[in-house]
Amino acid sequence: MSGPAEAVIAGAEIAAGHDGSAELVLRLRYPNGGQGVVVLEADKGLELMAACGAAHLDELAGHSWRKLLEGTCST
Amino acid sequence: MFDVIVRNGLVVDGSGEKAFKGDVAVKDGLIAAVGEVSGPARREIDAGGRVIAPGFIDPHTHFDVQLLWDGAARPALEHGVTCIVPGNCSLSLAPLKAADRPKVVGMFQQIEEMPPEAFTQAFDWSWEDFAGYRDAIARNLSINVAPLVGHSVIRLWVMGEAAQQRTATPAEIAAMQDLLRECLAAGAVGLSTSFVDLDEHGRPVPSRFADFAELDALSAVLGEFGRMLQCVPEFYDVDITIARIDQLSELSLKHAIPTTFSPVFDNTSTPDNAPRILARVEEQFARGARVWPQMQTRPIDISFSLLRPSLFFARLPRWVRVLRQPLEARLHSLNDPDTVAKMVEDLGPDGGRKMMGGLIVRGGDAAPAEMVGRTLGEIAAERGQVPAQALIDISLAHGLDVAFLAADMGHEDTDRIGPMLAHPLVHIGASDGGAHIASFSTYGDTGYLFSEFVRKSGRLSLEHAVRKITAETADIWGLKGRGRLTPGHAADIVVFDPATIDRAEERPVFDMPGEGMRYVRDARGVDAVLVNGEVAYLGGAYTDAKSGVVCV
Ligand SMILES: [Zn+2]
Repeated sequence: MSGPAEAVIAGAEIAAGHDGSAELVLRLRYPNGGQGVVVLEADKGLELMAACGAAHLDELAGHSWRKLLEGTCST
Repeated sequence: MFDVIVRNGLVVDGSGEKAFKGDVAVKDGLIAAVGEVSGPARREIDAGGRVIAPGFIDPHTHFDVQLLWDGAARPALEHGVTCIVPGNCSLSLAPLKAADRPKVVGMFQQIEEMPPEAFTQAFDWSWEDFAGYRDAIARNLSINVAPLVGHSVIRLWVMGEAAQQRTATPAEIAAMQDLLRECLAAGAVGLSTSFVDLDEHGRPVPSRFADFAELDALSAVLGEFGRMLQCVPEFYDVDITIARIDQLSELSLKHAIPTTFSPVFDNTSTPDNAPRILARVEEQFARGARVWPQMQTRPIDISFSLLRPSLFFARLPRWVRVLRQPLEARLHSLNDPDTVAKMVEDLGPDGGRKMMGGLIVRGGDAAPAEMVGRTLGEIAAERGQVPAQALIDISLAHGLDVAFLAADMGHEDTDRIGPMLAHPLVHIGASDGGAHIASFSTYGDTGYLFSEFVRKSGRLSLEHAVRKITAETADIWGLKGRGRLTPGHAADIVVFDPATIDRAEERPVFDMPGEGMRYVRDARGVDAVLVNGEVAYLGGAYTDAKSGVVCV
């Protein structure tokens, strides 16, 4: 099923968070070509990886931004 | 007759002007003379080969609780800090009704990581209003305190439970205005708010339920006093942060108040963020707004243990799978030789030397003393293991309660950070002193400013660095009569060795109530610290001086 184009995760990296934990830096690409960055804390980042079935950071690329919402809702 | 003369030093007076050889004389708590001072004094301090500077001001701390039993906010004072601003990030210990104490204790524990005993045993909780808190700390101060009042507690006072449920009614907003007015009259130097912080149950703190009308109304009261609005914007998203800069700027212009926000980091994974933030700040200052970004000097370390899954392992799928299991299953996997062999294999032929060899074993947890402070690479070599195997074995041997630290993982590029710190619109601060105490040290950022950005890289001159954390800070916050070595100003003075001033290595200490642990960094190269003309720290030791005040 092909829905309307939507923002996708373009890439992910690990960065140091201000509270001393490792955080997930997500690069999002919007349908209009724009890019955005969002940072997730450790738990949320790991939840997102699980929600995307990503075993490795690089496997996050290509997933819909909506996985962010799933990730944050799952336990 | 002067009370004190600090003699023969290099006077760096906070103005940013060129340093000069001279003396600084003190009388009745104030600077009495600067230059070549003749005449006797009851006490002389030799500053030969040393810098004489105004005491440093730390504008972002969470010493609210500690001040109740430690009026020096140790180890802040020994680093040359003579004035701290507590009450940041929407949280202060007043105004607060007795019935609401448990709620706010939970919020404080979330950011400070203080043990519960800090709230139950260490002090007599006698106040509800802001004046009461001010008086409770004022009895015992060795350091000066310029306290903020927290938006979250103001909201909680007026709205009770509803503070964490909904926006406020016009009547509630009016009541908050009255309460803020009372706090400012009692000595608060501004209001702090947060769009980010959570309580101990993971719920947004009360300030996050405010709408713009509420923030606008409270800012109007700040305007009556010309006082600061401090804010934690959604720093994990640079576009929202920039929107907040615009919002703070509107409030600054409309109500003629200064505003400040933090944190602002420069990470190599998001190299455009800090420059974009600074560009927006420049635009808003050009319009006349005062919206000061606070930037910390110290780099950010990552620390973790196998007790909780960390994204440090995010490039190692098997490690993530194993570590995300509940504790019992995780231990089972880590005790299974086949699983561990595969985990180690995942690191490749070097067994994790590159990724894990530089990790430092931290103390303060179950790590044995002989390992603390050493690298995993060294320890693994001694054990005849590869680092990945050693990490697992050491963790298992101590109930997984061994923390490892990856140093300088963010905000660490001196060639990028230096020019930002030197930027005339960047406010050096955001130390978070007294917060996250069980995770890392939040002390000694001033020493690091001199060691890294003055001495090592030359990105700031000595005079510039001193000005940034003294006169500029006093001006930004409107702290009158502080931050400069000028006759008539408060005699807050630090004498330090410009060749050695620094922060020492991070170390765990158990000096919190209930023998609670925290990480600290000792001061290096600081000889003497005077607070309102009295010697509070000298030759490596604190004195009995209690000359700190709640200052406005
Ligand atoms: Zn804070």
